[in-house]
Amino acid sequence: MIHRIVRAMALLLVLATVAASGDMALTGQLLAYQDGFVFFTNGAGFRVAPGVKILDIATKGPSADLPRPRIYARAVFDSAGAVTELDLSRAPLPIEPLSDAIAKYSVQQSPSYPNPDLIPKPSDLKGAPNAGSIAGSGRPVLVVITVQVPVLTPPAAGVYITTDTSGWNPQAIQMDRIDALHFRITRRIASGTILRYLYTRGALQSEERAANGLDRSPRLLAVTDADVRAVNDTVYNWADTLTGSQSVQPNTIPTPYNPAPFPNLPTGMPTPHPARR
Amino acid sequence: MRQNSLHALGALAVLLIVTCAPACAQTVLRLSADRIAFYYDRFLVEADGNVRVTTSDGMTVTGDAFSMDLKLNRFLISSHVHLHSRGGDLSGAAISDFLDFNRIYFIPVVSEPDRWTYVDGDLLHPLKGREMPGDVFAFPQLAYAKPDLVSRVATIGPKSYVRFANPTAYLFGAATPLPSFYVYFGANQDLAQNSLSGASYDATWNVTGNNNSISSVHLRGDPTNGVYASFEQHLAGEHEYAVLSVNPGTKQQHFWNLFTGDRLGKTFQFTTFSQLFTDQKGLTQPTAASAVNYLSATKALPQSFLTLQETLVNYNLIGPASPAIPNHPTATQLTSSTVAHQVGHLPLFEQLRYGFGFNHDALGLQQYGGFTYTTIWNHLFGMTFYTPSFKFGNRENSYKTFYFNGSFDKQRQWFSVPHHIETTNTTLSVSRTFSRDFSAYASYNIANTGDYYLQGGYVPFVPVINGTPIYSFGAFRGVATLHTTTLQMTYSSNPNLLGTVTFRQHRDFPAPVPDLFPLPPTNVLGQYTYSSFLGQAPYDLTGEVRARVADHFIVDLQRTYYFNFGTQRWSPNFIVQVTPQ
Repeated sequence: MIHRIVRAMALLLVLATVAASGDMALTGQLLAYQDGFVFFTNGAGFRVAPGVKILDIATKGPSADLPRPRIYARAVFDSAGAVTELDLSRAPLPIEPLSDAIAKYSVQQSPSYPNPDLIPKPSDLKGAPNAGSIAGSGRPVLVVITVQVPVLTPPAAGVYITTDTSGWNPQAIQMDRIDALHFRITRRIASGTILRYLYTRGALQSEERAANGLDRSPRLLAVTDADVRAVNDTVYNWADTLTGSQSVQPNTIPTPYNPAPFPNLPTGMPTPHPARR
Repeated sequence: MRQNSLHALGALAVLLIVTCAPACAQTVLRLSADRIAFYYDRFLVEADGNVRVTTSDGMTVTGDAFSMDLKLNRFLISSHVHLHSRGGDLSGAAISDFLDFNRIYFIPVVSEPDRWTYVDGDLLHPLKGREMPGDVFAFPQLAYAKPDLVSRVATIGPKSYVRFANPTAYLFGAATPLPSFYVYFGANQDLAQNSLSGASYDATWNVTGNNNSISSVHLRGDPTNGVYASFEQHLAGEHEYAVLSVNPGTKQQHFWNLFTGDRLGKTFQFTTFSQLFTDQKGLTQPTAASAVNYLSATKALPQSFLTLQETLVNYNLIGPASPAIPNHPTATQLTSSTVAHQVGHLPLFEQLRYGFGFNHDALGLQQYGGFTYTTIWNHLFGMTFYTPSFKFGNRENSYKTFYFNGSFDKQRQWFSVPHHIETTNTTLSVSRTFSRDFSAYASYNIANTGDYYLQGGYVPFVPVINGTPIYSFGAFRGVATLHTTTLQMTYSSNPNLLGTVTFRQHRDFPAPVPDLFPLPPTNVLGQYTYSSFLGQAPYDLTGEVRARVADHFIVDLQRTYYFNFGTQRWSPNFIVQVTPQ
């Protein structure tokens, strides 16, 4: 809350200063200050006038800071396009877009020409379901992921999502059972996030397998700007319940093979034997 | 012992393949600065003061500030930049390298600033004056963020890992010096394969690593072992992996685990798991030792797949000095399964399986008819049917729509001992989401297991518990039926808090009687190692609360109430799990 108030006050201060002075000015974050030029993070470099004033934006007195990368600043230009005043701030200031009036002061030796890379192309994320554009504002999107699990999933099993963003922790996101065959989870994920994920039953030894019984490559989810995003997946097999497989878990010693299907019969129960004639 | 040696050789071969696997051709960055800060939640590396970056492809850049978004895989160096490359020595204000796109954006300052773009690694021919994307020199907004770790030296494997030398980590605000720290953020999930059992909590310190390996120390805790430390080594290549661990490493009883896996081509893969159990102080002569080896191989076929499972167990590696049983059972099973197919145009799917195999133990597997069977052959046939979700109720309103699911599975397994085992499992469930916060489901499951002998088999037996004969069990002849009704309700007002209540009613034959059936063994967390068994309490109620307690941690708390069935009132203890996010 304090940070927000400081930001708001800084913004008000900048606006008030600009309105009061009427000078040509640019507010942004510094990239470099060297060789008689000041560079902003938009890549523009401006000539610095001799005797430039380095001030604190809050006090308007001399600044204790020097112009350096990451610090926020308001640059005031003279009519020739040189920076005559730099007002520094450690608190974030709004980063203004470069107006045409100021862009003409930006110094660049070679003439500018268009970049073919910047012409929009189809997304590289063809494999991502509903990927579209990965451009995202970063705002939280409510993502509802529902998965159908195999019929042979143990009744008391938990189902989890493991993701590349969690270092493939097999219990990264625990899902909630919604019926005998379906699990669901709702999460807020920032738009623009590209998530690779797989389903597990709590360990990578019980990770999902593809329909053909083999390991499958991670699923891909590209979160685009939307209010809500629904994802529906199907798990065909679990690694540890593939037909005929035996449950393998660390730190367990299996019991000797016992063909009887009832592992906890009462003590003293006689073993099966042929009928007496 | 010979079997163990063979497995060890196999595992060693995989290890060699993994270790010798060429690292992916990638540029590695070596970064030094007066202060390097790492923001774990945003995967940002920010450095200031005397920044020096050396890339493995021969470029050295110095400057005053460095910023890298590990996920976007691009870095920026600004202020008094000096670039040394095969293109010569240049000075400038900033340089930004978009590694994924092979684009380097540079602001040189010779007499005046300019804008150059290097394309596809050609440092000799800059494209002068070409427009640049608007954000290539942008720093992330970090004004009030606190770093999770600070260091002076880091090695960055783009899209894979970052490793810090002598960092100071901030754990819950406390500065903790460490000799090194490694973070993996790549897409290779094989590097995350783990061989440790479950634990109530696990604080992992990734000591070191690179694109193909991670060495980690775990501080763990569980109700059985208390607090202990474990060690784990991960190795992974493009198609293969190996994981070694000792757990608990600081207790007298150790499990030495080795997982390996390899995908050979697009249709075949295998995994192995070898476990050595030792009861020993430090590395002294064990007083008990046993070994288990599993091999699983899968071959994908059109519309089906083959699975080979092999298990080799040696319960006593010490010899006569150990009281452990000397059995060496083995089992091999080959199973063919079809993928799921829709039955005609019906809303029904089916999956079939057939398999055969054998079990062997030279000391005997089963006595029947006065004969000790040391090898038992078997073959099996199974089928699964299930429906998609049927909607009913008010389909226009998703909060008033009910969903119905049904599944049916049946398997018969014949043995060379003259009997067969038949299992049938039927589940019906109805679910509904009542509101954004509240959902519920009810299910009914019938699990029927029959062990049928051609002659004889199970004989009537009336056990006596505390002097009281249990006549109800006298009707048991090798066929058990478990009926389970489940009602579960879930409430989640927001994604960071969830509460679940699950009520189950069991109507089983043989009927449960307190103290009649031995309870299943529990794992280190206190959970039963199998969930469906004879003698379950007729009613149980399980509550679970899951909450995010910090930005990176979720706590899950769970306990079950058994309604005073015999001596069972509550589950042995709370299941508490702290999961890092």
